[in-house]
Amino acid sequence: MRGGWIESGPLDEESRIDRAAARRVLVRLARMLRPQRGAVLVATALLVVQTAALLAGPLIVRWGVDAGLVARNGRVVNAAAIAYLVVALLGAGFGRAVIWNVSRTGEDFLRGLRTRVFRHLTGLDLGFFEREKTGRLVARMTSDIDALQELVSQGLVMFVQNVLIFVGTLVVITLLSWELTLCTIIVVPPLLAASIWFRNRSNTAYLNVRDSISSNLSTLQEGLEGVRVVQAYGREGGFIERFEATNEAQYEANIETVRIATRYFPVVEFTGVLGIAVVVGAGSVLVSNDALEVGTVLAFVLYLSNLFEPIQQLSQLYNTLQSAGAALAKIFGLLDTPNSVPERPGAVDLPPTGALEVAGVTFAYGGGPPDTDGIEHPLGPTVLTDVSITVAPGERVALVGPTGAGKSTLAKLMARFYDPLAGEVSYGGVSLRDATRASLRERIVVVPQEGYLFAGTLRDNIRVGDPDADDARIEAAVDALGLREHFESLPEGLDTEVRERGSRLSAGEKQLVSLARAALADPTVLVLDEATSNLDPGTELEVERALEALTEGRTVIVVAHRLSTAARCDRVAVVDEGRILELGSHDELVARGGRYATLFAAWTRSV
Amino acid sequence: MDAEREARRAGWRLIRGATRPQWSWVAAGIAAGAAWTVARLVVPQLAGAAVDDGIRSGDTGRVLVLIAVMLGFGVLQAGASGIRRYCAFRIALRTETDLRAQLFAHLQRLHFAFHDEAQTGQLMARANSDLQQINQVVILIPLTAASLLTMLGVIVIMVSKSVVLAVLALGLLPLLNRAATVFSRRITPVNLALQQELSGLSGVVEESLSGIRVVKGFGAERMQNERLAVRADAVYERSLQAARMRAWFMPLIDLLPTISLVAIIWYGGHLVLDGRLQIGDILAYNLYVAMLIWPLRMVGMLIAQASRASAAAGRIHEVLATDPEVADPHHPVPLPPGPGDLRFEGVSFAYATGRQVLGGLDLHLRGGEAVAIVGATGSGKTTVARLVPRFYDVSAGRVLLDGVDVRDVPVAALRDEVGIVFEDTFLFSDSVRHNIAFSDPGAPFDLVERAARLAGAHGFIAALPDGYDTVIGEHGYSLSGGQRQRIAIARAVLHDPRVLILDDATSAVDPSKEHEIRSALAEVMDGRTTLIIAHRPATIALADRVVLLDEGRAVATGTHEELLATSERYREVLARIEDDEAAIEGSPS
Ligand SMILES: Nc1ncnc2c1ncn2[C@@H]1O[C@H](COP(=O)(O)OP(=O)(O)OP(=O)(O)O)[C@@H](O)[C@H]1O
Ligand SMILES: Nc1ncnc2c1ncn2[C@@H]1O[C@H](COP(=O)(O)OP(=O)(O)OP(=O)(O)O)[C@@H](O)[C@H]1O
Ligand SMILES: [Mg+2]
Ligand SMILES: [Mg+2]
Repeated sequence: MRGGWIESGPLDEESRIDRAAARRVLVRLARMLRPQRGAVLVATALLVVQTAALLAGPLIVRWGVDAGLVARNGRVVNAAAIAYLVVALLGAGFGRAVIWNVSRTGEDFLRGLRTRVFRHLTGLDLGFFEREKTGRLVARMTSDIDALQELVSQGLVMFVQNVLIFVGTLVVITLLSWELTLCTIIVVPPLLAASIWFRNRSNTAYLNVRDSISSNLSTLQEGLEGVRVVQAYGREGGFIERFEATNEAQYEANIETVRIATRYFPVVEFTGVLGIAVVVGAGSVLVSNDALEVGTVLAFVLYLSNLFEPIQQLSQLYNTLQSAGAALAKIFGLLDTPNSVPERPGAVDLPPTGALEVAGVTFAYGGGPPDTDGIEHPLGPTVLTDVSITVAPGERVALVGPTGAGKSTLAKLMARFYDPLAGEVSYGGVSLRDATRASLRERIVVVPQEGYLFAGTLRDNIRVGDPDADDARIEAAVDALGLREHFESLPEGLDTEVRERGSRLSAGEKQLVSLARAALADPTVLVLDEATSNLDPGTELEVERALEALTEGRTVIVVAHRLSTAARCDRVAVVDEGRILELGSHDELVARGGRYATLFAAWTRSV
Repeated sequence: MDAEREARRAGWRLIRGATRPQWSWVAAGIAAGAAWTVARLVVPQLAGAAVDDGIRSGDTGRVLVLIAVMLGFGVLQAGASGIRRYCAFRIALRTETDLRAQLFAHLQRLHFAFHDEAQTGQLMARANSDLQQINQVVILIPLTAASLLTMLGVIVIMVSKSVVLAVLALGLLPLLNRAATVFSRRITPVNLALQQELSGLSGVVEESLSGIRVVKGFGAERMQNERLAVRADAVYERSLQAARMRAWFMPLIDLLPTISLVAIIWYGGHLVLDGRLQIGDILAYNLYVAMLIWPLRMVGMLIAQASRASAAAGRIHEVLATDPEVADPHHPVPLPPGPGDLRFEGVSFAYATGRQVLGGLDLHLRGGEAVAIVGATGSGKTTVARLVPRFYDVSAGRVLLDGVDVRDVPVAALRDEVGIVFEDTFLFSDSVRHNIAFSDPGAPFDLVERAARLAGAHGFIAALPDGYDTVIGEHGYSLSGGQRQRIAIARAVLHDPRVLILDDATSAVDPSKEHEIRSALAEVMDGRTTLIIAHRPATIALADRVVLLDEGRAVATGTHEELLATSERYREVLARIEDDEAAIEGSPS
């Protein structure tokens, strides 16, 4: 709502803070809209003209009544009718231009916002995604931006227009009769008090609504993703109950806003009637004293709806505005989330080749800022302690060791999913902290232990390895791994739709897709984290050999529990409790008779 | 087209059904709307009378009386408006909430095959934006009832004063309604397309975030950003298309009532000059026409919204009308107690894609026996396992548990006796304890701990910051791969089933721990029938017997050594062809 007259009211401490937050959101919005300044100005100008046309209506009526009806002049009546018609047509024409201009500007802004928020999101460090729930983040990009969309497509025009009508009307009626205006003004204080109360109450209520929606969405999403486990263990009932709880919470949050509005709007309606009563009453006194014409009273009554309708509409729009404001605040909050693996100003490209060096790296998970719920994520126990390893260009190194030793963590640090707490990971002498993101992703590729397939065809999924690859290159990558036959046996070969998360493929087939991605990406450093754990040993052997041939001369780091894989590497690093215990070639380590030797003995015995 | 109409009709039935429990609120809303209408109709009459009888004749006393009455009606109007509003929103929110709960409950019970083909994003859109469409139309129902009353009242009052003036004033208004209707008809398909694009966009977001590790690992951020940009562009285009239509119709809809006002001033003005009408009447007429604008537009909006909502409800109905394919039989027989004797008889199976995965599989696991299934990637091992707890039903043949066809017993009873460790571990973002005690949230702590110990998980759980109460991140991704797998094993152990299925459940377990887990698992498997799917000899060794699965059937069976000796295919699958031994022995070059 237009600041001035509402902000004059008394405000408690809490809403003052809210107001400051609201102002920050507005200022920021204005800044973001700066590139569209021209379009915004045009739209505003059109809006002013259109509103002027609207305001002219009652003035013309007044003239028709006083100069026409009271003075009994038929020609003036005709003229007034024609003038009114012309003004109305003009208003409609401008109205059309206004809607079109505002929508275009707004949609432009939203498109920019969508891509921008998303780009920010995908660039954030992995720690962020571990703190936040996916459902929440999806809500930021969907229901929150949708709330803005509603504002842009309908609300904004109505909002500005109503403000203009209100102010314009106030000016006009003061000019018509300041005495009557003064009398009318007495209804404003109660309305004002009610509006302030409403504003404060609905502010928090709307934030609650947005929160409850996103937490309900989270429950929904987890319920859908985990549905197989839920059914396997016959826990449908428990999950339905859990969902009902968040669902009812969303209902409660919504109904609270309705309760607030239910108390407010009757006041607005009553003041509308009160206004008419005051104008008529005071008007009758003024007319009988000959201080006023009847036509003016008539015009006043018409103008009253111009005065009160905007207030009512603005209060309703305030709902839209509130939820848009809350949404925007959340989106800004997301945009403000600092990236803990930022690209430094002046970052350099990684050299085309070089050694991958992990020097004195210490790492612990957690330690980021609190999440959206305000839950702290303190730094966890140390997962890697002073780990150093240098992998020469073209070398193959295996990381082996027990569960939870820190192998995957090390693998993720090598691609800068996180930055180490102490120490440095560098490639070709350049610290990953100083590298451009693009060159980092191009040189170093990680096939994570947590594989993921996107809905789409096999081909689309393999293309994740290199978005620019054409079909021929994709097929070449598949051939190079010797997977052609396997994929062809699927219903539609490479064009088989794998559905969400690859639900139509077997576990091993999903891993084959990941490997094909890696073959297509063809990076200088390839990190494979348990990338073949679900394959049958026969297929695994074939694929590994093919991959070896393919990555000849490339640096490869494999994390594996199957020691047959480790045995084929140049060097093996045994990781345990966050340290590298042994490092050397397979033969050396076996000969040394240490940890690896024991492991390998156990492995061969079992084979 | 016909199918679409049918879907819409079904959608309406759904909306009607969902609003039915709230008829008392609907009635209250309509009653309040009627009171509100009456009050609103009377106020302009009083204002007009005050101008004519009071101001123009200088009778201030009469003006005061009229004003007092007017204020009385103002109170009525205000009160009624509040009640009307509350009722409208309550009905709509209740309907939305109930339908959402119903939808979720239904989705939880739908068979696996449905979820294989469905997209989470689409289902989320059903539960979110589609329900909001319905909410919007339900809100309008009691409001429209009042609107129709208002229109009726206004028309009656106007006609009673001057038929010609009424015709002039109201003549254009049907056009207003017509314009609103045409507008809604045109804009509906655009809005639907916009909804589609929006849900596509949310699909891209959802996938990119769920697969963020892959996105980052392959540097696919740019690719996903571009995919999103394409969607955002499509949303932009559609929104502008809708805006273009709004820009045409909205000003027109605003213009029509203004033309009516012009007519009133012109013709009414001349009537006043002829002495056949009072100036106050002009005021009243103006107020009335203004009063009609919203109701007429609201009816137009209702028409637009109704078509959007019926389409949305049709889509929701489609989900709700999908019957769970795996459901309790009509005449369930209780699952008899037994040792867990499991038999596959001539079992064939094909997924929705049509390719036959199993063809005539015969397999028998005696009660208490542990059998390993070995086979190449994609040979159908997991499929065999999924048929036991009826995640899918066989296409031909049957699966018998303790002599009873699994399709003849209640699903819940069956699943109670089958514990499965999935090959792709899924954990919930809840505490470790709740994850382990998933099948029985009330399980005492020592049982949870025992299950964890047997799964070799107790050690690392105890070392977690809050031990068993540590809340693990989404999908359990704050644990290492092997840790996740062990919690999943513990979850199955706690379930205490007759038949235990371990689907590649040790793939992420390191060899050093393997024998530890093996002895623990041996304890777990004691007294149960166990189906082990494994690639690693150490795990296979847990079984009494090995079955080689190939081309959809069990092609060989025997002990590990026997099969190594007799089956070439078995050696192939386990990479035990001679040259491969050489590769292990003398690899480092
Ligand atoms: N995202 C995370 N947040 C918090 N702790 C984590 C996270 N990921 C791993 N950890 C913890 O860090 C330790 C090392 O995990 P990591 O995934 O590196 O093990 P790993 O050696 O790869 O084991 P595995 O062989 O089971 O995959 C484990 O104790 C694990 O619980
Ligand atoms: N939900 C599904 N819809 C359609 N096809 C499927 C589905 N699940 C699996 N398939 C196909 O059925 C075949 C057998 O799959 P299954 O998962 O049983 O293999 P598997 O033997 O367990 O393989 P792996 O060792 O890789 O886990 C595969 O070719 C797979 O593509
Ligand atoms: Mg790991
Ligand atoms: Mg499988």
